[in-house]
Amino acid sequence: MDIFVQQLVNGLTLGSLYALIAVGYTVVYGILQLINFAHGEVFMIGAFGALTTSLVLFRGQTSLWILPFMIIGAVIASVVTAVLMERFAYRPLRNAPRLAPLITAIGISVFLQEIVRLNYDHVPFTSWNPFDLPDAKSLIPFPQIDVVTGPAFQVGGVTIQRAAIFTIGALLMCSAVLWYFINRTKMGRGMQAVSQDPDTARLMGINVDRVIVVAFMLGAILAGIAGVAQGLQNNNIDFRMGFLAGLKAFTAAVLGGIGNVAGAVVGGLVLGIVEAMATQYIPGQFGGSPWKDVWAFVMLILVLVFRPEGLLGAKAVDRA
Amino acid sequence: MIKIPDIPESVVVRHGAKAWPLALAGAGLLMTGSLLSWSGDPQVLGDLSISFNPGGLQIQALALALLAVVLLLAHKGPLTSLGQWADTALGLRALATWALLFMVMVVVAITIEAGGLINIDPGGWISLLGAVLLFAAARLVLPRETRDPAEAHLPGWSEILVIVVLMAAILFGTAYALGLTDAWEFVLFLVFVTGVVIAGIRAGLLSWLGHVTPRHRHVLTLAAFAAAFFFPFTQNGSDANMSIASQILIFGAAAMSLNIVVGLAGLLDLGYIAFLGAGAYVGATLSTSAFATIGWNPPFFVVVLLGACVSGTLGLIIGTPTLRVSGDYLAIVTLGFGEIFRLSMFNLDGNNGPDLTHGPNGIPAIPDLAFGSFNFGDTHNVLGIPLARFSNYYFLLLVVIAFIILVFSRLNNSRIGRGWVAIREDEKAAEAMGVNVFGLKILAFVVGAFLAGMAGTIKAHQDVSVTPDQYIFLESAFLLAAIVLGGMGTVAGVMIGAVILKLLPEKLRFFSDYRLLLFGLLLVLMMRFRPEGLVASKRRQLEFHEEDEGLAVRVEGEFAEEVKP
Amino acid sequence: MHQRSIVRVAAPLLIASLALSACGSRGGTDTGTSTGNKTAIIGVMAPLSGNLSALGLGIQHSVELAVQQANANKAVPGWTLKVEAKDDEQKPDVGKNAATAFAAEANVAGVVGNLNSSVTQSTQSVLATANIVQVSPANTGPSLTKGANFSTAPVRPYKTFFRTCTTDTVQGKFAADYLYNTAGFKKVATINDKKTYGQGLVKEFTKFFTGLGGTVVGAETINPDESNFQAVISKVKPTAPQAVYYGGEYPAAGPLSQQMKASGLNVPLMGGDGIFDPKYVALAGATANGDLATSVGAPADQSAVGKKFLADYAKAGYKEPSAAYGTFSYDAANAIINALKVSLKDAKDVASVRQATLDALGNVSFDGLTGKVGFDKYGDSTSRVLTSYKVANLKWAQIKTVTVP
Repeated sequence: MDIFVQQLVNGLTLGSLYALIAVGYTVVYGILQLINFAHGEVFMIGAFGALTTSLVLFRGQTSLWILPFMIIGAVIASVVTAVLMERFAYRPLRNAPRLAPLITAIGISVFLQEIVRLNYDHVPFTSWNPFDLPDAKSLIPFPQIDVVTGPAFQVGGVTIQRAAIFTIGALLMCSAVLWYFINRTKMGRGMQAVSQDPDTARLMGINVDRVIVVAFMLGAILAGIAGVAQGLQNNNIDFRMGFLAGLKAFTAAVLGGIGNVAGAVVGGLVLGIVEAMATQYIPGQFGGSPWKDVWAFVMLILVLVFRPEGLLGAKAVDRA
Repeated sequence: MIKIPDIPESVVVRHGAKAWPLALAGAGLLMTGSLLSWSGDPQVLGDLSISFNPGGLQIQALALALLAVVLLLAHKGPLTSLGQWADTALGLRALATWALLFMVMVVVAITIEAGGLINIDPGGWISLLGAVLLFAAARLVLPRETRDPAEAHLPGWSEILVIVVLMAAILFGTAYALGLTDAWEFVLFLVFVTGVVIAGIRAGLLSWLGHVTPRHRHVLTLAAFAAAFFFPFTQNGSDANMSIASQILIFGAAAMSLNIVVGLAGLLDLGYIAFLGAGAYVGATLSTSAFATIGWNPPFFVVVLLGACVSGTLGLIIGTPTLRVSGDYLAIVTLGFGEIFRLSMFNLDGNNGPDLTHGPNGIPAIPDLAFGSFNFGDTHNVLGIPLARFSNYYFLLLVVIAFIILVFSRLNNSRIGRGWVAIREDEKAAEAMGVNVFGLKILAFVVGAFLAGMAGTIKAHQDVSVTPDQYIFLESAFLLAAIVLGGMGTVAGVMIGAVILKLLPEKLRFFSDYRLLLFGLLLVLMMRFRPEGLVASKRRQLEFHEEDEGLAVRVEGEFAEEVKP
Repeated sequence: MHQRSIVRVAAPLLIASLALSACGSRGGTDTGTSTGNKTAIIGVMAPLSGNLSALGLGIQHSVELAVQQANANKAVPGWTLKVEAKDDEQKPDVGKNAATAFAAEANVAGVVGNLNSSVTQSTQSVLATANIVQVSPANTGPSLTKGANFSTAPVRPYKTFFRTCTTDTVQGKFAADYLYNTAGFKKVATINDKKTYGQGLVKEFTKFFTGLGGTVVGAETINPDESNFQAVISKVKPTAPQAVYYGGEYPAAGPLSQQMKASGLNVPLMGGDGIFDPKYVALAGATANGDLATSVGAPADQSAVGKKFLADYAKAGYKEPSAAYGTFSYDAANAIINALKVSLKDAKDVASVRQATLDALGNVSFDGLTGKVGFDKYGDSTSRVLTSYKVANLKWAQIKTVTVP
């Protein structure tokens, strides 16, 4: 029983991370019907933003009060990336055939990974490294923060990581704020209107361009926070962390019903739990950690075949 | 590309008359300089230091100058009767601009390589001066009335001759470029070729070719294959370039198969490399390698068929349930499928599943193919030219790719192909018109997978070893990029895309660390500025440029012609 | 009239120059340098770009150092050695192209590489066809030298392939012996990253550990591309192992150790030479103390030759450190150089004595950085010097160096 609860906790932690990233996919998709493949990289850049803040401003100190600054640094880095991406890569393609933005997204994704890998520790085309940043070609240890990281709590036979509490807490708080924003503010209602019918929304006086930018920003904020959470949890970050996390998060978004914000959260949690349980409980040769990703993708395909609108129902499935 | 501002009309009118002799003088200077020594250091850029014995780059400069002279004479002089068909002024401008770029890059290259401007001999400066003069004068040359090149009709034999000469030029150009080991020389040669091609486009020669080639489509295809066939004979028995060339063919074969799915039917597949991998694994496990896990060694053509069928079946399995969901979902499901394939090959090692693939170790030591007494690993002498291992595979792959292209174009020009276009444009409308949407989609998927699987079985033998890390997502992205870069739905475009993506990284190793960065940037810029690809099919071009009325009329006309029996 | 005269001048000039260029002999055939020496090339194939470039560049520079010293000492009289490095990008395709390019060059006397076993599998056959010797500084998979059934019926697949590093078999046995006999652990869990190196190492370790009488209480795998290993740790923890043996490299091993300790699985993690790197300790963080590793050869900063190598390397001013495989690469290059001393002595060119080089390489024997360098009949290194290390005060500290029979 302890093991079951333990894996549930592991799954929830992992799932919270997926959920935080998945929201970014789903918000953008809901409005633009665009798979922002490069969203995983926004998450990665968020983590690097937090690392940079900690190294440059605080020289890697570990006091708790630094954490808010790291989160702000992460959010700024991801939001800037996402907004630039929207402005210079996606906006010019808004009326292009569907394939164009998707391929652009793959291009951006590769480009961002490479730029971090090659140029994190120096100004491009020079070897100038004013803040003595580490080389990003391999894993970089992430600063550990007092209270938030450190020895785990033992509750009965179950171990709960401190960083896991941070991640799950971040998801709860973000979900609440997001719910308020979408349902109770003017901008949020504008977003809903645009996702239902962009042309009518425009006629009603909603600035669609602005709504789209806000959608990208929302996703980026959550991805930035997720980047910090992942760094704290796993103790390290690297330039490739966005690819797999982004893929899983997208799977989570589709699982929950793409375009549906609550669906993204549920989908993320379900996916995390499935992975943890598959590691523990699928017996025999096709079980365990090596096959868990296979089962996650198989589940995605099954859900798409039997319930294409996702667990909670998607928005605008048919418009693809 | 930086836009060079136009010279005010008044200046052109006033000095237009002087421009022609000036340009001729510039071309002459460029020529004279190129015959003299360019660089004092014989070690750089393949020795440009001997007067009256021009090195490769100097011959290219001579050729540029000669072309400029021909254009000038066609503009005003003995060749005007030819010149009336071509926009000589525009062509000359483009040529002169690229000639200048070429010379500037030569000077920069010598300076960097030999360490200082001091190494540039007078010949280099004379050529540079000539290029500057030519560039300035060409911008002043007055444009003339031209006639539509579509009306130009030469006797049939001479048109065929032009095609043959063109193909021969491509063959020897490629062989020459591959022989260059110095990155600067390679880049400069690319600049030279680009300059000539762009001048040709501007002068309207390419649009003339565009009218000629459809009249002799079979000749063109035949000439292209003949050029490809003779390529190994230009290598003097060296296998170094043949290894790259045969990889390009495998990559091209997979890209052509994917082209059926993406380019014709418009279904986005992000896990396509899995089908190539399925074929390769079938080829490996049924080979006589000591590591092969299935002790059955059927003849190779059976293996090819089996590999293709296994791959096609996988296509069917993944396609049947998922093709009912629409566009974006298909992309993500195929991506997931690609990962499932890779992970499965990774896991089936006896510890986590039955031992089929040896997991991460893969299946190494796959023996070479042998048809009767012809062993692909041996060197065979044909007409006194030794053809080594990779040349043998190259010929085999050439047959395979010819087959794939045949299937592709047959399907494209059939009822099925038009059905795919209809689905791509508007699925609902197509369904309403009685197109069997689901059936046709499945067909595209299965045919594509089948062909890729076929190529995969040969890849296993050519590669000697099959491991799962050859079939990662990035490879699928590269396949897709080849199609997007070259031109979706076209044959020539996709082959060009495949060549660019596989050849350039091999030749430009000095920025190997920036390879992926440039790849990403290239995709973004391509989608932004030329989404239809380098070689665009007209129909596809229209999709991306809906506002272009003239294009729409032209495409409609051609389409009507095509449909006519 | 004017334009015609230009044509008249230009056309003959052009034709003359083309004719000259066709028959004239232009450079390019110089095999010798200014000293009158002939040139032999030692190739290097390794990932020089990408995320393993640190290891690959270390290999390249170590070979360069060996060759530079050989040239300075006139080790091969009458010949100048040159290093030519080609990037394999960790990809079999690209590696194969690099190998084919080496095979096409008449001056290539031998090749050092590759780093990844999957790449080596593709390059072995190409170089074997050309009869060029290949010495790998890093490939530890037994099947590369002993074929598919390496433990029951070893057959050497490619006679041109050698290696200076030891195989998984030697290292796995050493680790099993240490954990069972020295540390006294009877219950151990294994985790590997399902890569050629990690899986092979764990397989050999398990064989010897159970052979000694120990129990392997859990055998798990992780995906090294991920960085959250909680699910696997939670699965291993209830089996209460006394240590975890990890097969894989430090980028995943470091975080794994950290997450193990943070989850309350406070047992040492042990690994092979893949985790023996200062970055492991940086990644594993403050709880890394007590973790164990084995590595091949004596530590470079302990022996006199090793110290000299490090000093020379520093003096040569390479931008990247010699990294994990520097010493093996240096030995590999010197093995080839020693073979060339024999084969090139009276040779006219490199290509004609390739068989002699191969025969000579099989018989080399000299004192290298990693012990006595020599090869057995499969091409495996006969040097069996291994060292165990432990993390103490957040630094790798030597426990003991032994010579395994």
